[in-house]
Amino acid sequence: MNPMIPRTLAAMALAMALGLPQPGFAKTLKMEVNGLVCSFCAHGIQSAFAKEPAAGEVLVSLENRLVAVELKDGQDIADATAKKLLTEAGYTVVSIRRVDTPVATLRAEVGGGD
Amino acid sequence: MSLRLPLAAATAAVAMAMAAPAAARPITYTGGTMLMAESNADGRHASFTYSHSFRWATSVGALRHDGLATTGHLDLEYVRVAHLVRRWNFPAAQANAFVWGGLGHARTGVSDGLSPHVGLQLDYETRRIYTAFNSELYEGDGWSHRMDMATLGWAPYEHDIDRLATWIVVRGTHTTNAAETGVVGQAFLRFFTPKWWLEVGADENGEPIAGLMVNF
Repeated sequence: MNPMIPRTLAAMALAMALGLPQPGFAKTLKMEVNGLVCSFCAHGIQSAFAKEPAAGEVLVSLENRLVAVELKDGQDIADATAKKLLTEAGYTVVSIRRVDTPVATLRAEVGGGD
Repeated sequence: MSLRLPLAAATAAVAMAMAAPAAARPITYTGGTMLMAESNADGRHASFTYSHSFRWATSVGALRHDGLATTGHLDLEYVRVAHLVRRWNFPAAQANAFVWGGLGHARTGVSDGLSPHVGLQLDYETRRIYTAFNSELYEGDGWSHRMDMATLGWAPYEHDIDRLATWIVVRGTHTTNAAETGVVGQAFLRFFTPKWWLEVGADENGEPIAGLMVNF
């Protein structure tokens, strides 16, 4: 057996235990947005990011004033691009953070969204 | 009977028929299209809107109004351009100022010609409260007509994007040269999801109203 394999597995297990990023998982853009009050209007946010090649799953939560976009493997969306997409959708971006939490996990945390 | 009376009735009918769709936001999102249809005791109205951006949109629409006392019916087709002048985004609220202008071709039993119109809307919305003030001015061959409308909505629960939103809405409309003077009240339920919007209710005379909007 390649001696590197158990070391890699151990490192991955340690990373998971410590809550560190898992190998291969792309980052998520987590954005705080002002003006999110209407689901009819927020539909535009999903449509805007759907046209972005690097964007994966998108979460919009009115309750948490949150827009989260999971990035596809090896791809990225610059903060300026994300801000421009939200601004052109009619909203005001308060902050942009990059987190290692998948959108599915964020969705579970906020208890809904789309 | 003076010719002004049927003209006044016709122009009031135009404005009242346009009242409900005008209360919705006239612009959606960049590249978004919206189909709207409305029916009430006196007629039908449909429009199609394309939003070039969140600030500009173009609409085409047509309405049919029956049962007018002397003109019998009214048909109007129009083209309209709407502009979002200013938007205020707050942490848990949004406010907007819209203006629009358009040109239509109106046909009644007594007149046939161009009919320009202008309008404005101011609104403020949270996830529980919706308020809007809307004013429109229509003009035609020898007639001019203004309509002011105030809308107040209340949501019994806070919705999110994955949940059906329900609103209880009351609205008062004042129309100049209207056959029915004073403020006409309406009450209705509004349901919406990110992709569609449905309104059902009645005016103070008990006449049913219904509206549907679909976002593409």
